[in-house]
Amino acid sequence: MKFIHSQKPDRVNQPFVFQLSQREKVALLATLKLYPLLDPSYHQLSRNPKVTRKADQEWLEEAMDQQRQDHKRKLAQLFSNDRRFFKDGKDDLYLTLTGEQTEWMLRVLNEIRVGGWVRLGRPEMEAARKMNLTDAQARLFTVMELSGYFESALLEAFA
Amino acid sequence: MSAIAVPVAPPDTEKKEKTDPKESHDRGYLVICWNDPVNLMDYVTHVFQKVFGWPKAKARRHMLQVHEAGKSLLARETFEKAEHYVHQLQGYGLHATMEREE
Repeated sequence: MKFIHSQKPDRVNQPFVFQLSQREKVALLATLKLYPLLDPSYHQLSRNPKVTRKADQEWLEEAMDQQRQDHKRKLAQLFSNDRRFFKDGKDDLYLTLTGEQTEWMLRVLNEIRVGGWVRLGRPEMEAARKMNLTDAQARLFTVMELSGYFESALLEAFA
Repeated sequence: MSAIAVPVAPPDTEKKEKTDPKESHDRGYLVICWNDPVNLMDYVTHVFQKVFGWPKAKARRHMLQVHEAGKSLLARETFEKAEHYVHQLQGYGLHATMEREE
């Protein structure tokens, strides 16, 4: 998947266009389907428990949970039908996203990546590549790598 | 990775005892972003730009400090503002916390 262009120089209101193959589309949708992968308890307001109160920590977890519900709803809306992807007559597909959609999709993909990493036991990436992974772990690792790949494509739009 | 301590300036004024930190104007709360091997460098730079409104060069400088030193001090704020920033940064999946300035 690669960033093609924004239709006008004003990137705030004009959509971004991404080109991707049929296989990338399948991989993107399969990856997004896994959202959310992170448990709310992952989020810690402070490393020092004396800095914050229990209520503050609970508020953070509630806020993250609320954000997840919101992102999940937006994802369902965005890909509710196949018309999101346009074909130009050849094999490649085009995905058009507003700046806002690109922004939250980036967050969703990153959370999937972080969630996969947490479930793998938070390994160093190079170490993980050399680990003997079970099938389930290998799937998580693939999801992490795919999320990173799609994130990089989305980030191109903001470069 | 080398562990370099984040430089922390001494407080300007003597701190007062507060029962509720949220009501305090004390800007002694540090927003720190910690290194992890999973967030992409370009993504972290992007998040700093979005959350703090920093230009790319400054955002990238802090990202590199996180990557190389293990952490970066992003802001020194009141409890409420520091908490707000941590919510924002964690909403982007970064490993950020608020700590009390000692």
